[in-house]
This record gives sequence, structure tokens and C-alpha cells, in this order.
Amino acid sequence: MFGPTSLRDIFLVAGFELREGLRSRRIFLAGVLYMIIAGFASYIFVDILTRVQPITNPAPLARNRGPMPGLFGGGGGGPRPQTPNGTGATANLPAATTSSSNTKATTPTQPVAAAPASTNPDEKALFRRGSPFREVLRQTTTDQPMLDFLLSQPPITLFHVLVSLALLPFMVMLTSSESIAQEHQNRGIRFIALRTGRAEFVLGKLLGQGVIIALLTLLSGGMCMAVAAWKLDDFEFLPATWALLLFWPRIVAYCVGFLGLAGLCSMNSSSTVVSRTFSLVGLIGLWMAHHLSQVYIASYPADSAKAHFFRALDFLMPYSHQNDLWRPEFAQYGAGMASLLFLGALYTTIGLFFYRRRDL
Amino acid sequence: MSLAKATAPALSLKGVGKNYGRIQALQGLDMEVPRGSIFGLVGPNGAGKTTTFAISCGFLRPDRGTVNILGDGPFDPGKHRGRITALPQDSALGRELTLVDLLTYLGRLQGVSRQDIGGEVARILKLVDLTDRAQSRTKTLSHGMLRRVGIGQAFLGNPDLVLLDEPTNGLDPRQARDIRDFIASQRGTRTIIVSSHNLHEIETMCDHVALVDHGRVVMAGPISQVTGCNEEVQIALAEGPRPLDKLRSALPGDLVDWDEAAKAMKIRYTSKPDRQTEEVIGIALRALLDSGARISSVSRGQSLERAYLGIPATSSSDAPPVLGAN
Repeated sequence: MFGPTSLRDIFLVAGFELREGLRSRRIFLAGVLYMIIAGFASYIFVDILTRVQPITNPAPLARNRGPMPGLFGGGGGGPRPQTPNGTGATANLPAATTSSSNTKATTPTQPVAAAPASTNPDEKALFRRGSPFREVLRQTTTDQPMLDFLLSQPPITLFHVLVSLALLPFMVMLTSSESIAQEHQNRGIRFIALRTGRAEFVLGKLLGQGVIIALLTLLSGGMCMAVAAWKLDDFEFLPATWALLLFWPRIVAYCVGFLGLAGLCSMNSSSTVVSRTFSLVGLIGLWMAHHLSQVYIASYPADSAKAHFFRALDFLMPYSHQNDLWRPEFAQYGAGMASLLFLGALYTTIGLFFYRRRDL
Repeated sequence: MSLAKATAPALSLKGVGKNYGRIQALQGLDMEVPRGSIFGLVGPNGAGKTTTFAISCGFLRPDRGTVNILGDGPFDPGKHRGRITALPQDSALGRELTLVDLLTYLGRLQGVSRQDIGGEVARILKLVDLTDRAQSRTKTLSHGMLRRVGIGQAFLGNPDLVLLDEPTNGLDPRQARDIRDFIASQRGTRTIIVSSHNLHEIETMCDHVALVDHGRVVMAGPISQVTGCNEEVQIALAEGPRPLDKLRSALPGDLVDWDEAAKAMKIRYTSKPDRQTEEVIGIALRALLDSGARISSVSRGQSLERAYLGIPATSSSDAPPVLGAN
């Protein structure tokens, strides 16, 4: 039965985990590594965009499709008035894709040097509409409101979210799966097990890990912003930061689903190696189950029992809720976050069911 | 608290069994630890001492049998939090934080209030002589220091039952003596169970003992009873007369023998209210001195080591245990 004492214990364990984690070289290195990856990926992303954009011919896009809805943050329509320096007046216009003239570092040998057209506001508007990044979004997103929403966000933020959602499941498995198993391996758990319940211990550990991951995610987002600010003259800090904070809770919620799986593996493993192996195998298993479910759902009639079964199975995979996190309405992404939190709790509860019965 | 709970043994194990695969670590172990006692759990390596501790603390689940801690059933953090603490064997403390942070964390989890924790941690650090290392990270401490931290954390708060698994293992002689003195000073304030295969240590520190071998208690009771210190007197003699007959006639009804190996007269008797050990010693010494014997020492009972080695080997394919007493 949970009560105030249990909550106090959970926060005590989480606080200790957090402080130990922040002072340990392992977490420090993981943080540095993650920031380096985020920074390097952002650099490549910004660099590619600024190189590709000037040599992309946007005219056919503009001619063939006309003005792209939501391109400037609204529900459709043409270009907004331009500011004197050539950037869009709309605050949330992505800096990374605005114009090559916005980049600080360009060399004569780079293609961006040959982009005199960017001095023409009309052409710059076309570039925005035809930016390769946005084109990718258009090609991959069929949901119009979601597309409008994404097009209104700074690309560097979307890139950070994309990278985070792709990498964080692995990172969660690699770092958090060791947390409890390590206590079993060195038997440090025996100092704790006499002082609090196993559920409180596990929840505290997972809470601490969750906070560490949330902080690392925020730091990596900051790193992406820093790279964008360095590479782009007119990087708009506030819109990008606002967008980062908008997506940050969604990223954290996505991690919780996987954190539950890491906890399940960690609390029922006697060593860090076993736990990490179980976690990675479990992660791959979830990924495969998600994609196989998608295939089967599509191959059976929508109302058939098998389709219902695979839909239910797919619901249990955190991957299946990723798409919801990109949606604009709170009801939509909130449902996705709630599902992920539920999955985190479900995996943890299953783990605790066995953990309560195991020898320490 | 009900009277039954208040008077129940601090720890009671009945028919406890535990297997690790095909290895039977405990084979129906029965043990009762009286409240307020300092209880020694003695046995060779692999006898089942650590498994007994782990089951008592709830770290391991027994395959059979019952455990009752402080009259409240098997370990349950809801019932026993703060009332039972332990120094587990081969368990690592957190490595990254300072000693103060670590003890504060453990003490707070145990239920020590935020107001009291500072003073409590300072008391423990002083107790284990680590006040000057309070701000050191635990990973910078030596093995002996970590052992002392482990002992100290077991006395955080005000536990009713403390289980110490080989507490002086790895300590230098002075530290080991200090720890023994501290444990002895706790007599009557709480129940302490000490596991060791150092029989001399157990004999000097504990008032009750259980000898464990092959997963069973082979002998248990008050130290005085196990060593027979109220039933036996040994008087060692130097070269000279050995008046065995005269001594036998001075102590009619008692069993008097000459132990050639110990070069001592061994007297076994039954204590009575009007004839206690002191009277027996007095009569024996007078008889020996009158006969011109040269007395080199007098001792009561047998050592715990001799008591243990006197137990027949259990039915096992293993060789009988040989205990090393310091």
C-alpha cells in the first residue's frame, strides 16, 4: 500500500540516483556523448540544408503545387511580408531553411556561394516553400493538420525531436537498464532492502533515471540550438526554444515507455550484462512486433478479430504511439503521451510482479 | 504492542530450508535468538551462516520453514522498517557520494527525521572513527574504512535487531577490538546477531551462540552452557606432583581426570546453590597445594573452539569442519 512514506522513499531513492548519476563518470560520459552526437548531427543537418537549398530549383515545385498550406505557420496561403534582412516576419519561420545568405560560414568553393538569387525576396520565398526539408515532410506526412503544424515549427527543433525519438530508446536501454541490475550485481540492494519496499526502490530508481534522461534530452536540444545559432546569422532563439520546450515533454513521455521496459529487464537481472542484453533484445522485439503488427493490421479486414488483435498488440508497443507525438492538438499528442506513460507503468508493474518474488 | 510480540524472541527460525540448485544451503534450521542478547552465529565457511542472515533479512526466500522477526512474522518493510538493520557480507555501498551523503540517505530511508539526521550521522561517524573522512567520496575509502562504514550504517537510528555478518573481517587488530568493545557495550539495549568463524571473538563478545554446520544448528544456548564454564574447571600444573587421587577424594561425586595433552586436572561437576564454581575451585586448589602441586593456571569450562570441535561431524561427505580460532 502506497502512502506518504512510500512517496518520500521514492523521492529519496530518486534523489540519490540522480546525484550518484550526475557524479558518476558513466552518466557524465553518456551525456557528453549524447551532446556530441546531437551537436554533430545538427551541424551536418544545417550544413546540408544550407548547401542543398540554393542549388535546389524551387520553381517547378511552386508551379506544380502552388502555395503550400501552412508554410508560414498559418492554415495556408502565400508568403508573408519579408523583413528587411530577408527573413520571414513570422517568428516561427525556420531559420535553418530560410536562405543561404543567413549562414555565417561559407567558402568560395561551396555551392552556397553561388546563390545570388537569395537577395531577391520573391525567390527566397520560393526557396522556403521548396526547401528540401519541407519537401521531405510533405512527402512523408499525409495528415494535413499535422503537416501544417510541422511546417510551422523551426526545422532544427523538428530535427532534434526526430533524432531524439530515434536514438533515445537505445540510450534508455543502454543506461537505465543497468541502474537496478548493478545494485544486484554488487549487492548494494541489501543496504536498501531493509529500509524500504522493493516497489519504492524500483520506482525511485526509474524516476531518477527519467530525470537524468530528461535533462540529457534538454541539454542535447540546447546543443542543437547552439549549433544552429552558430551556423545561422538570423537564428531565432525564442521560437526555436519555445518549440523545443513544446516537444520536450513528448520526448520524455516517449522515453517513459522504454524506461518501463528497461526497468523490467533491470530489476529481474542479476548483472548489468544480462540486463543490457535483455533490454536490447526486448527493444528489438518491440520494434519487430510493432512493424509486424502494422503489416498484419493492413492485411486483414479492419473489423476482423485478427485485425483487432494486432491493433491491441500494437498498442502495447511504444513505437506505435510515436506518430501521435507529432500532432498539433493536445487531445491527440496528450493521448499518445498518456498511452506511453501507461505502457511505462505496465512494463514496470509486470517487472515488479516478478521482482517482489525474487531473491536479492 | 501486544505482550506476545513484546516477549517474542528477537528472531525465530523454524525448519528453514534453502536450496541453491542441488546444493542444500540450509536443511531445516531451527534457531531462537533471545531479545536483548548478543548472539553469535558460528560455523565454518559454507555452513549456512550468510544464507541464514539473508533469509532473516528477507533478501532470500526460504524454500520451507518459517521466519519470525520481533514477533511480527517474516521481514516486511512496512512492519520492520527502522527496526532491523544489517551489515551484509560482500555488499558494496554507493561509490560516488560523500560519506555524509550516503549515511544521510540510508538514515532518512530508515525513518530518521530530517531534523535528527545530521546529529545521527555525526554520531555514527564518530562511532566508527571516520569523522575526518566525512566529506570523502566512499570510493576513496580503504577496505577497512568501508567495513567500518558498513558497521556504522547498521547502527543508524534505533534498531531493535542488528545482524552483522563477519563485522571484523578485514579490520586491523585495533579496529577489530574497538568494534568488539562497541558491540559488547550494546548488550541489553538491542539484540545483535554476529556471524563469524572467529570463535575467540564470539566467545568474548556474545552471551548466546548457535553453532551451524551443513545448514543445521548443531548446538545452541548461552555461551556459559555451551562452553560449560559452570560445569568444568581445568587446573594446569607445572612439572611436579600430580595428586589425582587426593583431588578425587577432596571432590567426592565429581568427575576428576588428568588431561595429559593440556597438562591439566579436569574437574567436571554440577553447580548447586551452595556449591558453585568458586567453591569447587577453592577446594581443588587447597587439595593440590597441600600435596605440593605447582599450579600454572586455572580456567573455567572449555573454549568455544574445543566445544565446537567436540561435536561429532555431521553426516556429510565433506570433511569435518576445522575452525581457526585467533
